[in-house]
Amino acid sequence: MMDRTLKALSLVLSYPSRALQGAMGEVGAVLAADPRIAPGTRAQLRRLTDGLGHGDLYDLQESYVMLFDRSRTLSLNLFEHIHGESRERGGAMVSLIETYRAGGFEPDTTELPDHLPVLLEFLASRPFAEAREILADAAHILDALAARLARRESGYACALAALVQLAGGRADADAVAEMLALPDDDPTDLAALDAVWEETEVTFGPDPNAGCPQVRDMLATMDGPRHSATHSRPAAE
Amino acid sequence: MSHLLDRLNFFQSKELEQFSDGWGQTTAENRDWEDTYRNRWRHDKIVRSTHGVNCTGSCSWKIYVKSGIVTWETQQTDYPRTRAGLPNHEPRGCARGASYSWYLYSANRVKNPLIRGALMRAWRKMRETMTPVAAWAAIQNDPALRASYVTTRGKGGFVRATWDEATEIVAAANAYTAKTYGPDRVFGFSPIPAMSMVSYAAGSRYLSLLGGTCMSFYDWYCDLPPASPQTWGEQTDVPESADWYNAGFLMLWGSNVPQTRTPDAHFYTEVRYRGTKSAVVSPDYSEAAKFGDIWLNPQAGTDAALAMAMGHVILREYHLDRQAAYFEEYARKYTDMPMLVRLDARDGRLVPGRMLRADDFDDKLGEANNPDWKTVAYDEASGQVVAPNGSIGFRWGEEGKWNLEQRAKGVEANLRLSQILKEHHDEVVGVDFPYFGGVATGAFVKCDHPEVLTRNIPARRVTLAGGEEVLVATVFDLFCANYGLDRGLGGDWVSKDFSDDSPYTPAWAEKITGVAAEKIIAVAREFAGNAEKTRGKSMVILGAGLNHWYHMDMNYRGIINMLVMCGCIGQEGGGWSHYVGQEKLRPQTGWQPLAFALDWSRPPRHMNSTSCWYAHTDQWRYETLRAGEILSPTAPEGDWDISLIDYNIRAERMGWLPSAPQLKTNPLEVSKAAKAAGKDIPAYVAEQLKSGALQMSCEDPDAPENWPRNLFVWRSNLLGSSGKGHEYFLKHLLGTDHGVMGKDLGEEGGVMPKEAIWHDQAPKGKLDLLVTIDFRMSTTCVYSDIVLPTASWYEKDDLNTSDMHPFIHPLQAAVDPAYESKSDWEIFKSIARKFSEVAPEVLGVETDIVQLPLLHDTPGELAQAHVKDWKKGECDLIPGKTAPNYIAVERDYPNLYKKFTSVGPLLEKLGNGGKGITWDTSAEVGHLRDLNGVVQDDGVSKGHAKLETAIDAAEMILMLAPETNGEVAVKAWQELEKPTGRHHAHLAEGAHHTKIRFRDIAAQPRKIISSPTWSGIESEDVCYNAGYTNVHELIPWRTLTGRQQLYQDHLWMRAFGEGFVSYRPPVDLKTITAAVNTDAAEGSPHVVLNFITPHQKWGIHSTYTDNLLMLTLNRGGPVVWMSEVDAQKAGLVDNDWVEAYNINGALTARVVVSQRIKQGTLFMYHAQEKIVNTPGSEKTGLRGGIHNSVTRTTLKPTHMIGGYAQLSYGFNYYGTVGSNRDEFVIVRKMKKIDWLDTPASGPATGKVEAAE
Repeated sequence: MMDRTLKALSLVLSYPSRALQGAMGEVGAVLAADPRIAPGTRAQLRRLTDGLGHGDLYDLQESYVMLFDRSRTLSLNLFEHIHGESRERGGAMVSLIETYRAGGFEPDTTELPDHLPVLLEFLASRPFAEAREILADAAHILDALAARLARRESGYACALAALVQLAGGRADADAVAEMLALPDDDPTDLAALDAVWEETEVTFGPDPNAGCPQVRDMLATMDGPRHSATHSRPAAE
Repeated sequence: MSHLLDRLNFFQSKELEQFSDGWGQTTAENRDWEDTYRNRWRHDKIVRSTHGVNCTGSCSWKIYVKSGIVTWETQQTDYPRTRAGLPNHEPRGCARGASYSWYLYSANRVKNPLIRGALMRAWRKMRETMTPVAAWAAIQNDPALRASYVTTRGKGGFVRATWDEATEIVAAANAYTAKTYGPDRVFGFSPIPAMSMVSYAAGSRYLSLLGGTCMSFYDWYCDLPPASPQTWGEQTDVPESADWYNAGFLMLWGSNVPQTRTPDAHFYTEVRYRGTKSAVVSPDYSEAAKFGDIWLNPQAGTDAALAMAMGHVILREYHLDRQAAYFEEYARKYTDMPMLVRLDARDGRLVPGRMLRADDFDDKLGEANNPDWKTVAYDEASGQVVAPNGSIGFRWGEEGKWNLEQRAKGVEANLRLSQILKEHHDEVVGVDFPYFGGVATGAFVKCDHPEVLTRNIPARRVTLAGGEEVLVATVFDLFCANYGLDRGLGGDWVSKDFSDDSPYTPAWAEKITGVAAEKIIAVAREFAGNAEKTRGKSMVILGAGLNHWYHMDMNYRGIINMLVMCGCIGQEGGGWSHYVGQEKLRPQTGWQPLAFALDWSRPPRHMNSTSCWYAHTDQWRYETLRAGEILSPTAPEGDWDISLIDYNIRAERMGWLPSAPQLKTNPLEVSKAAKAAGKDIPAYVAEQLKSGALQMSCEDPDAPENWPRNLFVWRSNLLGSSGKGHEYFLKHLLGTDHGVMGKDLGEEGGVMPKEAIWHDQAPKGKLDLLVTIDFRMSTTCVYSDIVLPTASWYEKDDLNTSDMHPFIHPLQAAVDPAYESKSDWEIFKSIARKFSEVAPEVLGVETDIVQLPLLHDTPGELAQAHVKDWKKGECDLIPGKTAPNYIAVERDYPNLYKKFTSVGPLLEKLGNGGKGITWDTSAEVGHLRDLNGVVQDDGVSKGHAKLETAIDAAEMILMLAPETNGEVAVKAWQELEKPTGRHHAHLAEGAHHTKIRFRDIAAQPRKIISSPTWSGIESEDVCYNAGYTNVHELIPWRTLTGRQQLYQDHLWMRAFGEGFVSYRPPVDLKTITAAVNTDAAEGSPHVVLNFITPHQKWGIHSTYTDNLLMLTLNRGGPVVWMSEVDAQKAGLVDNDWVEAYNINGALTARVVVSQRIKQGTLFMYHAQEKIVNTPGSEKTGLRGGIHNSVTRTTLKPTHMIGGYAQLSYGFNYYGTVGSNRDEFVIVRKMKKIDWLDTPASGPATGKVEAAE
């Protein structure tokens, strides 16, 4: 028994190909018929699947590569947003593979296990309650991706929005806000940029035991709310 | 896991055992919680690999793998122990390497083959109705279609492709190019094979079978120090880092060991605990500076002045006022100092001329073989002129006398160093020396001494053949005069007092460099004093800081002279330690047949990149430096004041430098025409060149027939890192948006070149296809038409060596390549396969003609004792003698894949070798058949050893190389015994049965075996040290005299005033014009600074600079460093955004204002990626450039010399180098930061947040 909606969203978020274009009618129909998704989002999904089905394939592919392959902040590899550059990432991927195996599936793809379409296809085979639970864990990432895509006026935003709804709309507002508040927000805001780049001034003496102010600030940052995403610097890649 | 359930609340067990007097206790509580930690660090396997990056580290790492995922890496600690009294190597590795696993799963990874959308669209449309080559032809022949993807380079728009489709496009483009223009129009650039030699070889093997052009890198990077081939006939050969520990006095000169040689730095810190003193020469307070007992901070670019002054002190105190016995003996035996130089008359005055040769005498001193290549000296005992053993004339055409024994004609000869004694000279004459201190411009100190300094020299009158009478002097006497030392012969411009303001005294140097004279004197005395006591254990570690200047040869020769004066070269713990670039491919002679397909066809096509990029990115069209500005005032008569490109064209024409492309006509067609005319190929080409029917491509680099058409870039970030003149690459080679702000010579009304043909309209977009193979989306990838995803360093099998230690390392596939990526070996194999399928559409078995320059280490190095240009009618065009050679090579295009994947027959037929010796290697080829298996399929490769996998390829290298196969080492040494007539095989005999295989190095790093390819030895008694076998085995240096050559007597050397070393201030590149400096016009605050690009701490070139771990340790994007004084002048404070610009382009960065930086200099650590955190430039309106956006490369004629002993071309051995430190920039605060993140072309694109 497959959850065809999750499978359909997996397809929508996959790299556009002729075969995929051919299937978009059916995909659109599945999504349009699912009451778990809000009516407004369903209408947007219809426009997205129509666009994917009938657009110029090369334009679609260029846009997909630009969005999802080339933009770090829009990566569909979920752990990019959770673990980023940390060494935890390898371990997390190992756990995910083990989850797939426990569910009776062996990954058969060149994509990494944390690639969103891969995860969605797996979740489509799971009872919805379980799928919902896992999606809910990632809801803040999905929500942030939806917001970033919307900011770029990309039609893909609704696919991520639909996933947030399927997850029960339980995205942790703080976590989403934290991701969205990353300093690449408004790169023309010079004052904000300076704040991000600024290092603490080093002062010497008179108290030799006062400690290093830079270390103090680093510790303070670490004690603060966890930074879940990768960027601590303004990125204009 | 509640511990409450397991824990006793009210009792203590009586069974608990206590120990250690009650301090320890055994408990029986539940310990399952520990499994959390155990699982965290549990892994399935550990694989040994390393990082194939150009850093010389070559460190062994453990890669941890769990469920097929790389989880982390740690340093390996199982290096073989060193000998007693010497610290061990490990742990090797640094923070950069430790952050590498991040790359594997980074969002910046290239996941699929990518193709520019517009190209893909055109290709698929054509392919619907056409065959592959026809489809590519159709795209190229439609200007609109070609422009549709060429002009969008660097602007996004990639789509994914399958491997099949991507390789088909590449193969079709290569086949079309070979058919239409010639195979030499297919170029490949990949640097530093030592860092992953199989991956390098994959591409170069493909290109070599195709007839494509393999481009050099070491010279282009300006890491090649031309002073090394000039002095020693050797590219670069240096002591291993462990040898630092043997030094008694250690100088670090423009090298920043703790920062850039991190895994080796411990030897430097350790030796100081042994009592070794250290002097650090660095303009800024570098990380190394704090290790020094003394820190000298000269004005950047004036190092030669400092070295000359130290040389002045050493000569005065250790050679003249007192003769240190060891130094004098060394000079007599191992240097050209006793050799005789003619004093030529010029306008009634005397200048040092050619070295006297046996050929100059009536009886040729009894030398029938190569008398014009045998230098001469006076023998003390007989008082006669003799031609001592070892000069290059003895190397070719006879056996047994090419050695450094003190003999001539079989009789002992003790050579006279100086003619200073009255009975040894006939008269004292004034000889002119050029002096360049007065030509300094800009911020450099301008001296008021005249441009010609006449000094007195003790000379002897000699009668030559035909009764000609000439004056001669020894190199030593001229050398001392050149350093301005008063020897009691009277005359001007010599000094006895260190505090005189006379060229080359310490007081003079203080004025130029800013370093106090007493410090210069103190360091020179420590240096020489230690060398005298230890017999040569004074060492200088030097690097890019000196070598990237236009007059790098002067910096280097100044230092080399100090080392030679003190007998430090070839002595353990002493010598010249130039560590720039991972240049040492230890198993070189095993690798060459694989890399250049020498097992199937010879010779390969090699090209020196500096000259090539200078011509083909049209940087020559903007040249601001005239040869007249750098010419010596003592130059012989001649047509010297021409353009730099003209010199390069003459050099190519005379067979000195290689060319690519070679002939304007497709060589596949030329061979057909020769056949039709019934003529031999060399004779036909010579005749056609003379008549003008054939033209060399170099004469017209902008004609469409002469453009490079296809370019492969792999293992390299050419456009993001090493591309000097970055904006010119974008403008002319790629044809896309660029930031060039200057005008070319045509628009400026400058002086036009004489030899190069000028087109009023410069080409834009010479390349039809740019293919980049990388694992990360580098700046080069962003500009490419096709990007192929390659395996990272934990995903492929390969070999890695370094000059810093004698071990050979594997890279191993710990996991399969992620996403769709494949190893370089598999990628080029698949292109080769596709090419063999596609090519028969237009190509069959063809005859190619390879144009070969006169090569070093071949008899060709004796081709031109005198400079004669056939085109000017000075001599006839004789291929291989007065011009390049033209050699027919068969290309079996349909069978290219079969050849790629098997070991061809030429190794058994012609043998293998390198550096002038050749040995039979059929036994090794037989062993390879046994090891790799034999090809069973019918066809050209049937019965040959297989080369299917990267490991097969690695085994070929290891089997054929003397360094990794003891049997070959013994054979190689025995071959060398023929020319030298001495016994050398003892150096490898103990290792006869040692054969290192890939699985051996996978188990543990293995030390290589002593080989005649290198001048040091591997031994239990001494560390690897360059020049060791020259000094201790009496094997000559591969120079004119066979000795360390301190006097360069070639005509062009004399013309440009570099016969002897001197101080030459940086050249004026005139890049700060009134037109470009709008800030000066507007009166806005700004400062003009010298722009230099040292190696950084947070990356290895551009690698790791896009790695977030490393960015976090730095300021996270491009930065430049400047002094507080300069910052104040320009109204800047720390962390301001600044723009640095000149006529070459502009870059944007944050400024770090630091006390560490010397005034007048702007640092930009290279190479920070353009793709990370770079805002737009106000000057160009484009995204701020990289460090190379403000540079332009400039050639030096003396680097083009060829056919003349050690001054002969060799791939990455000698040739033009891409210097970049003489550049100045205007620095100013940016008014507005624009991240260029608004839509580029209308609303359709959508907002780009963080894409390119």
